[in-house]
Amino acid sequence: MILKLGDKFQEKFILANEIYQGFMEIFKDKNPLHTNHLFASDKGFKGKVMHGNILNGFLSFFIGEKLPTKNVIIHHQDIQFKNAIYLNDELFFNAEITGVYDSVNAIEFKYNFKNKESKIIAKGKFQIGLLK
Amino acid sequence: MKRSELLEHLLEIFIDTLDNEEIKLSEETTANDIDEWDSLSHIMLIVAIEKHFKIRFTSKEIQSWKDVGEMLNCIEEK
Repeated sequence: MILKLGDKFQEKFILANEIYQGFMEIFKDKNPLHTNHLFASDKGFKGKVMHGNILNGFLSFFIGEKLPTKNVIIHHQDIQFKNAIYLNDELFFNAEITGVYDSVNAIEFKYNFKNKESKIIAKGKFQIGLLK
Repeated sequence: MKRSELLEHLLEIFIDTLDNEEIKLSEETTANDIDEWDSLSHIMLIVAIEKHFKIRFTSKEIQSWKDVGEMLNCIEEK
């Protein structure tokens, strides 16, 4: 199998304005936490908080484009948000294969996103299937 | 582990994976008897069973099962 237990992967993403604006344009989530600096500050954040689900887009990109095979489909994924993300944050994505299930062509990963201070922003697990 | 205990473990895995507390499992149960047991959840079940019992199946073994009883036979042989 192309993917082996313990294989590790890293990617760097920047939460650029076009991603933030594009996400809002498509999904229409314009909650003041994401759009109003004063509102977000009043809640204890240092600025407008970016949508956590943007991270799922980065995860999708990793699975669909960065694995050593394009023959993949997502079976399951979860995400736990640990810290806020802000516009133009640099995000460091780390993933590791934690299970290989040859009988059903399934691979399980754990992953996290860290910011440049190495603080965990989000973490979780996902399982993919390898298409024949 | 006794066969009845294996079935109990299997039931817990089915309930957890398929997210349905109402599931009843017997040796004769097949995928046709449980609404949530579709092709994708079948993969999730196999992965959960392999993890739980710390065993590995082959695709040939999985394809040969006709019901939960045959699944239990295979687990017992591991």
